[in-house]
Amino acid sequence: MSKIKHLYWRAGFGLSPQEWEERKNWSIAKAVDQLFREAKAAGPLQALNVSSLTKKPTKEQKKMERKYVGRQNTACLVRMANPNESAFMERMSLFWHGHFACSSKLSKLAFNQINTIRKHALGNFRDLVLAVAKDPSMIRYLNNQQNKKNKPNENFARELMELFTIGRGHYTEQDIKEAARAFTGWSSNLSGTFIFRRRQHDFGTKTFMGRTGKFDGDEIIDIILEQRETAQFICTKVYRYFVNEIVDTRIVDQLATQFYQSDYNIEALMRSIFTSDWFYDKKNIGTKIKSPVDLVAGISRSLNIRYDNEQALIFIQKALGQILFNPPNVAGWIGGKAWIDNATMMLRLNLVNYLLYASDVDFRTKSNLKASARNKAMRKLEARVNLAPLQQILSTNNQERTIEELSDFLLQRDPAVDKKLIQQYAQSGTGQDFIKMAIARITSLPEYQLC
Amino acid sequence: MKRRNFIKSSALASTALWVPSFLKGHSTDTLLKTRSGKILIVIQLGGGNDGLNTIVPYRNDLYYKYRPSLGIKQKEVLKVSEQLGFNPEMQALQSLYDQGLLGVINNVGYPNPDRSHFRSMDIWHTASDSTEYLSTGWLGRYLDSDCKGCITPYHALEVDDSLSLAMKGIYNSGFAMGDAKRLRKATDNRFLKAIAQQEHDHDHENIEYLYKTMIDTQHSAEYLYQQSKVYQSKVKYPNTPFGKDLKQISELITADTDTKVYYTSLTGFDTHANQKGKQGRLLKQYAEGMKALVEDLKRNNLLNDTLIMTFSEFGRRVKQNGSGGTDHGTANNLFLIGGNLRKAGFFNNGPDLQKLDKGDLIYQVDFRNIYATILENWLEADAPAVLGKNFTKLNIL
Repeated sequence: MSKIKHLYWRAGFGLSPQEWEERKNWSIAKAVDQLFREAKAAGPLQALNVSSLTKKPTKEQKKMERKYVGRQNTACLVRMANPNESAFMERMSLFWHGHFACSSKLSKLAFNQINTIRKHALGNFRDLVLAVAKDPSMIRYLNNQQNKKNKPNENFARELMELFTIGRGHYTEQDIKEAARAFTGWSSNLSGTFIFRRRQHDFGTKTFMGRTGKFDGDEIIDIILEQRETAQFICTKVYRYFVNEIVDTRIVDQLATQFYQSDYNIEALMRSIFTSDWFYDKKNIGTKIKSPVDLVAGISRSLNIRYDNEQALIFIQKALGQILFNPPNVAGWIGGKAWIDNATMMLRLNLVNYLLYASDVDFRTKSNLKASARNKAMRKLEARVNLAPLQQILSTNNQERTIEELSDFLLQRDPAVDKKLIQQYAQSGTGQDFIKMAIARITSLPEYQLC
Repeated sequence: MKRRNFIKSSALASTALWVPSFLKGHSTDTLLKTRSGKILIVIQLGGGNDGLNTIVPYRNDLYYKYRPSLGIKQKEVLKVSEQLGFNPEMQALQSLYDQGLLGVINNVGYPNPDRSHFRSMDIWHTASDSTEYLSTGWLGRYLDSDCKGCITPYHALEVDDSLSLAMKGIYNSGFAMGDAKRLRKATDNRFLKAIAQQEHDHDHENIEYLYKTMIDTQHSAEYLYQQSKVYQSKVKYPNTPFGKDLKQISELITADTDTKVYYTSLTGFDTHANQKGKQGRLLKQYAEGMKALVEDLKRNNLLNDTLIMTFSEFGRRVKQNGSGGTDHGTANNLFLIGGNLRKAGFFNNGPDLQKLDKGDLIYQVDFRNIYATILENWLEADAPAVLGKNFTKLNIL
């Protein structure tokens, strides 16, 4: 299987037909350079509709906010699929969004958070943690608004250590209490910016991880990052996400040492992963179960899909169990086999069919609050598919050869079933119809769910 | 991967008929009889049902003081004990109470309650502490444990298009089926059936898992569709999606479907405003649904083998709010229905309205004590293994 395609799937969301044609014979070094160049040129996002915050939003305002957050969400998916955007930047943002899992109900805060993440996504991990600690969306999500001197709220301090930096087993309950004191007064105002409320801050002496001093939040983060375990924890998570769920401890140890010695340089870490030989080992290729967002973004990118009604993008995320800006809890998405059950599996296998043939979906997403027991079914995914770019890169009219080329482009591992079967079940069509049908068959193979 | 062995290509290749992995070693004959006696039905009231207006402490002055207009008038309450009575819309449930088929556990909750719907629902689904985050549900972990006869993908069935967290395990999960006919249609794909019949050789567990899930789903959809046609209930259920779900469950049970746990939900209980009418209609629907289900099961001599547990993610604030509703609260009542309860009626006293925590009820029974009891005494499972801790069993089953 192609190493280039592996790189583009793990560092991005696969390749468009043009990209595949242009880059399939590139060296890894050249492709990696290009990915980092694009990501560094990506820059901040331009604001979509965001409304200003009010103390007591009305029902109408809340509804608008939901709509605007929804637009931020679909804009992310559209960017992930767009060959003119940096897919690597989108991939890193998605990873950090899942790592610093945070649910935003306010569009302005959601927007600011994603830009904060983009700014530091390939920078220094210390800057990233500090920026997230000062991010109004996170401050609200983990109750740091309520973290005040004499009345500390430990939520942020606990998750900072348990999930964001060092992981369980390397701190005590007392450390959490002391860290919480250091973050008192880290708050945000109605314009959605960080403010330090001096009167709520505890300036007293704290004892944290064996050190004593008048620490504030910055220094707590410094002390956490001084522990080598933090580098180990982050590298394990990065490896599991970008390389393989099954951790190779020898490699992760090496990465952690390097990450620690580089003073938490994320770019250097990612570069050494993508340029290593082991990244391209057979066991790492085509073995990761695509997340719903990976799946949808990948389909759009490879098959040139534009959604007429972007609600369809929200519907698919909901039905498959991953909604951007709305992770299940602060631990983020678990991933792997947890994405798959009988319901999500059938929807996944049929998804491209629904898009190509505009056929009935007939699936109702859950609503735990609304009075109607179930949400209305989304019957059609209104989308336009443009297969012309894909047709252009096919070299022949020969059906057998076409199946080979399409599989090669669309799949990250050889199908376990005989390719003749695909041909047989696509044969009722001729010319373009055959290609369309072959795409529908190949993308409904279980192998298509892997990257 | 203890019980559900992965697909062995030879088994598929060597048989002309398409037979999924979990049927290996079972003749169709024995498979149809592997359901071991007892059945659990879990019913989720989504949105946070107001327990105080469900089981009303009609003798308590504080109740009327906190709820001057929302409180249910003494003369309207369906009184069943010296202290407690049902919401007037729940006549149907009262009849089950009168027959000794209903058990009510008051003040059920957990330490450090969370008032967010989503978080509290997750806590109920995963049976976690309120400070921990688990990614598997209590019934999912039951499927993962060495549960007796757990060989089919539909051992635990949720009547919905998608699967709740409660039903998700690491190795095994429940099965989601909103409607037997629609599921069958979604799986009715010639090509997917053809690839299922092919010989496969998988070199990675993830691809193996995907093929297995696909094949299991195809077969299960067909089996459940056939099962759904075996018996047509004559009992009248509420003419709502919830009523339809209950009817489907009852028909599947009567058809001796190889499913031990059923899961369904009724939502809309988030009554911040104009609660009385809204909650009343939902409670009526719930109560009449339960009555119909019980009648159906009784006719088919299955009531003694069935236990129905009804819960909500939290109860509501004791004091009514300014819009004729109530805000998110904490402890709540939980219902058990069945022909085989050790203790029918009220398990414990109603809430103590004198001792509140910032205006909220204080829980007395941890819901995980109830889960533990059901797991051990009803499902014959190892409760500490499933719940990760030892919770004392209650004298209810």
